[in-house]
Amino acid sequence: MADYIEPTYAEVNQDILRAMMETGPKYWATLGASITVAGVCFFIPWFYQLEVGVGASGMNRSAVWGTYLSNFIFWIGLSHSGTLLSAVLHITNSSWRKAIYRSAEAMTLFSLITAALFVMVHLGRVWFVHWTVPIPNQMDLWPNFRSPLMFDVMAITTYLTASSIFIYMGSVPDFAAVRDASNGLRRKLYTIFSFGWRGTAKEWHTLGWAYTFFAVLVIPLAVSVHSIVSWDFALSLVPGLHHTVFAPYFVTGAIFSGTAGIVTVMFLLRKYMNFERYIREIHLINLGKLLVLLSLIWTYINIMEVFTTWFSGSSYELEALEWRLTGFYAPMYWEMILFCAVVPMLILFKRIRTSWKSMLTISILINIGMISERFIIVATSQPRKFLPNAFGFYFPSAIEISITIGSFAVFTTLFLIFVKWVPAVSLYEVKETLKPLRRSR
Amino acid sequence: MSTNVMGIFEFEDEFIGALRRLKESGFDELTAMSPIPLHEADHILGFGKSPVRRFTLAGTIIGAAGGFAMAVATALTFILPTSGRPIITIPPYLIISYEMTILFGVLFTLLGFHVVSGLPAWRDRIYLPASNVDRFTLVVECVEGDNSKLAENIILESGAEEVSRVEGDR
Amino acid sequence: MSTALEKFKKYRKPGYYDKFDYHWTMSIDLDRCTGCEACVVACQAENNLPIVGEQQFAMRREIKWIRIERYWEGEYPDIKLQFIPMLCQHCDQAPCEIACPVFATYHNQDGLNTQVYNRCIGTRTCAVYCPYEVRFFNWFTYEWDEPLEQQLNPDVTVREKGVMEKCTFCIQRIRQAKDTAKDDARRRVRDGEIKPACVQSCPTEAMVFGDLNDPDSQVSKMARNPRGYHVLEELNTTPSIVYLKRVQTDG
Repeated sequence: MADYIEPTYAEVNQDILRAMMETGPKYWATLGASITVAGVCFFIPWFYQLEVGVGASGMNRSAVWGTYLSNFIFWIGLSHSGTLLSAVLHITNSSWRKAIYRSAEAMTLFSLITAALFVMVHLGRVWFVHWTVPIPNQMDLWPNFRSPLMFDVMAITTYLTASSIFIYMGSVPDFAAVRDASNGLRRKLYTIFSFGWRGTAKEWHTLGWAYTFFAVLVIPLAVSVHSIVSWDFALSLVPGLHHTVFAPYFVTGAIFSGTAGIVTVMFLLRKYMNFERYIREIHLINLGKLLVLLSLIWTYINIMEVFTTWFSGSSYELEALEWRLTGFYAPMYWEMILFCAVVPMLILFKRIRTSWKSMLTISILINIGMISERFIIVATSQPRKFLPNAFGFYFPSAIEISITIGSFAVFTTLFLIFVKWVPAVSLYEVKETLKPLRRSR
Repeated sequence: MSTNVMGIFEFEDEFIGALRRLKESGFDELTAMSPIPLHEADHILGFGKSPVRRFTLAGTIIGAAGGFAMAVATALTFILPTSGRPIITIPPYLIISYEMTILFGVLFTLLGFHVVSGLPAWRDRIYLPASNVDRFTLVVECVEGDNSKLAENIILESGAEEVSRVEGDR
Repeated sequence: MSTALEKFKKYRKPGYYDKFDYHWTMSIDLDRCTGCEACVVACQAENNLPIVGEQQFAMRREIKWIRIERYWEGEYPDIKLQFIPMLCQHCDQAPCEIACPVFATYHNQDGLNTQVYNRCIGTRTCAVYCPYEVRFFNWFTYEWDEPLEQQLNPDVTVREKGVMEKCTFCIQRIRQAKDTAKDDARRRVRDGEIKPACVQSCPTEAMVFGDLNDPDSQVSKMARNPRGYHVLEELNTTPSIVYLKRVQTDG
């Protein structure tokens, strides 16, 4: 890229804090629209469903799990982006992660919150959801820790806690910067948020160690969370779901979908918060390479699923596979293959991977493919179990589609609130990537 | 009478040089503030392996044992056999234990960070907002008189932008 | 006074029970079954099954704890119809029990796969895990039009929306019989004293219900019949329902 002038330390503070502290009418309009869509498309249909019963969805006897669970898996998948980028690339000392990891971690947190909302929407009697939490009660009843759904509860609670702590701790020095640059109520608030951070060597040393430990702990957690989510399916007997490859399949898909999500969010941040000097081509290229790698792994696993099913010769599995590939949802299956296996190969061309608009398109197509993949897993396996008399069909109802759209608005609302409360680009880590301030420059 | 001598530096290498010379001259009460972590400063000031690691280890051990114990104990309070499996099933409870290991590891590390770093700070201490933007600041606590003059000289010779005396906690 | 080691061994034993108190089993003789669906109607009457209505039925949300599955083979005029009553098999290694995060379904000391309505939070995992598709979910709180609510069985609860239900082997009748037996000089329940609604209403007596632990009970004799098999045996669910193969007489 021509004409890139490195910002000075002071300019880093100015640019990033200005983006955070100044709000214009465009921001308020976007936030208002986002909240409205979230309310109208997500919360109101959900409250209607709470009143009437889960029958407001399109699920039936042969497919008792539907889009609520497939969207839950999609959002958990999207949450793996931040963990990978932030934690894994931290312990490998990658410098290109430094400008983008804060927003990626925020994506993780908000995707998890949205996914947790979907669990609530999915439950038949959500007012008893606290029974899945091991709290002492007068009935002397505890949850069933042998159940895959309980692994889910533990894993997602841990992941939410760990992600929140991870992003908060990494932001403490930046909260101090906000405190110093503001006055009034904001100054008071950020004094509390920053714990009185001064930037002494002791504080940096302790934070560095703590942060590395968080990163090291959060990586196996992320792998285990999506493996556990996959086991909700793989631990059943249902043909098409009862595969050992499900754990790596889901984890790969999660990182794939999450990385594509990061590309989308980076494009929007760059455009609307004027971060062109901080989020640069090197980030785009590296994310692109990651997408190609993950797409190849994902394609391999899909081929293996088809191959092992065919090789097994099991009539149940073959029936499920045939319906998936040639039945009613076949167009969706092949669209998924097109968007997730074929389209990412375009990134191999330098012209595509250095163009922000092309990468934005590809990332959105990848995520559309990934939502389809989750839906296919849920909708094309349950109606083809063992007894042909019980075969069925599932199509989402209008309320389900509305809630799916509304969930994106929920995520966007949370993210929009985030960019005005936390610096979306990490100040101190960006400074570390700049040329060090030496007299002998 | 002890006094605090503060030096503000524009450049990192001069800052590190000043720190080194002060330490070699016998000044031990040093506080070094910077906008980015400086590993050389950690070396000079003698920070080795952080005690936070002990908190993490304690947390992971407590989580591992506690998670498994919780799963076993709750299964035994009200015996409900399911699916022809034993009451104490090892693979599911190991997964629960794994998640609790990480949860408690993270929580204890957080606690360790607060204990070791001394944050949140309840009292006001010497601080210059510029030291979180693009300046490197060091504060030496020394005895008023020859000592403090020596400190001032070292700081100035190393290339400080500004030297001054400050009141307050270091 | 068991030692800690003995207790531990007990807790590590697969299935926990050394022996079921009564091992309730059903045998269905497919030779005798005419597919009349009297069992379906009887079950609906006995267990307060909701009437979901025509529109919901068309959406495949019917609630039929026992159903007659029909399979057609061949082309006209050589069409063969096979049918089989399908109900909860009360598998000893039920895939559904371990799936429930709140213990709303578990295996009791009589070998029954019980459903606890007031514990169910409606995750519907059990229905996904069941290979026989015999679990039914209350998508709404169904109501009975007047005067149908007057025929509801007072011994059985009605379920609200969000709760999963399935065949219970008429556990209310089992409990009643066990109570009567306890009052009557604490004897054991005799063979033939308990008849679930479907067994009771079958006109050809194709269904037999009883205790497999009792080698002289009629169901034990049926279970020893060489025509006996379990549905989806290869899945290792060890169901408690023995089907007796229909004797085919074609050429």
